[in-house]
Amino acid sequence: MIAFSKTLKISASALLGSTLCAHAAQAPQHIDVKQMSKQVENVVVPLPNEIFGALNKLGSVNWREYVRTEKTSNFTERPRIALLLGTVIADGFIAVQAEDAPAVKEIGQRVLNLSKGIGVGNSITPHAKAITEAADKRKWEEVRTELDRTQSSVQAAMNEVHDEKLSQLVSLGGWLRGTQVLTSVVTKHFSPDGAELLHQPDLLVHFQTQLQGMPEFNLPIIHDIQTALGQVKPLVDVGGSTHISAESVRKINDITTKLDSGIVTKD
Amino acid sequence: MNRSIKFSLRASLIVLVCLLLPRGAGGTVDDAQSFALQAAEPYVKEGFQVREDYWGGDLGSGEKKAVRQQLFKGNEYWFWMGTEVERAKISVHIYDSEGKLAEQPDSWEKGHFAAAHVIPKATSSYFIIVAVEESSEERTHWALVYGFR
Repeated sequence: MIAFSKTLKISASALLGSTLCAHAAQAPQHIDVKQMSKQVENVVVPLPNEIFGALNKLGSVNWREYVRTEKTSNFTERPRIALLLGTVIADGFIAVQAEDAPAVKEIGQRVLNLSKGIGVGNSITPHAKAITEAADKRKWEEVRTELDRTQSSVQAAMNEVHDEKLSQLVSLGGWLRGTQVLTSVVTKHFSPDGAELLHQPDLLVHFQTQLQGMPEFNLPIIHDIQTALGQVKPLVDVGGSTHISAESVRKINDITTKLDSGIVTKD
Repeated sequence: MNRSIKFSLRASLIVLVCLLLPRGAGGTVDDAQSFALQAAEPYVKEGFQVREDYWGGDLGSGEKKAVRQQLFKGNEYWFWMGTEVERAKISVHIYDSEGKLAEQPDSWEKGHFAAAHVIPKATSSYFIIVAVEESSEERTHWALVYGFR
């Protein structure tokens, strides 16, 4: 294994070295966005920690204030479990930001239980174990990586059995919880740069389009989210030099807090 | 075992498996992803967190594809592209929502690997344009992964 690792190290170094000599071919300075928009592939939904990382750079955040470990309701409807699963994974990222090992371990177990509830527990067991081990050693980067792998594995397992729509709800649940916390933080310590992190109109359109394709999930919470996305979009879809206002951030926080409550508690 | 060593071993094992597989028509997008991850490997040591999610597909020689991604001001991003077709030449470039080239000058292309670096000036949606510039295959699998710090 040592010789193998050495070979790998050399090949990685060779690749890095060769990249230093490699240059990008002349790319056009401008492209026609309208033409490109017609050929665009699906978007990858950012993880909450991608947003939290950017938020952290604007000033210190007391993440412990946002850690949540209380037990949530048990659902039988698979779309509700999928939304909750995304929310709980986002809670995991918050607990990592707070470097709260007991919370991370508890959330790891909840993710496993929810995954079992939706029939994809087998693919999550090794990740839940890795999360617990990394949290015990306070290796936060490893926990972040494992949370990302957990979400990815859950979604891959869902996609395999053609549950793509449930997989989309996992991403949506995580995004909603991330947005709720982002708006809570920015409401408390408003800055235009913090508010700018909400400038995600294309993601809102992406989620709206996905929800429109789920008429079979005729649940009040799904309808509530559809309505809410329609309310949030004009608040964040500001052009050019216009800033997202403190009032808009507060409104989005109210909307997402209400949704979060609907996701974690029974009707 | 630290995170970067784990990542190195994981990416390299996938690459090794791909190298042992027959070339040509046997390739898949997963193989292309392993090469994209190989390109990402040195950057993990610099603190970039590579996402598990990725984009992939196949393109003919001279064809392009756009993917759209939400990027956040304050973060720094690298996008790494790879293909298992070793004689192919590929490229990846990043444009802002207005269609203006937004990447850093240290973005690079090297045969069947390419990478683009962006430090977003604004939180917004960006276009990532991937292309197969040349290839010996009729269709060339590609994969694009990204990382941030």
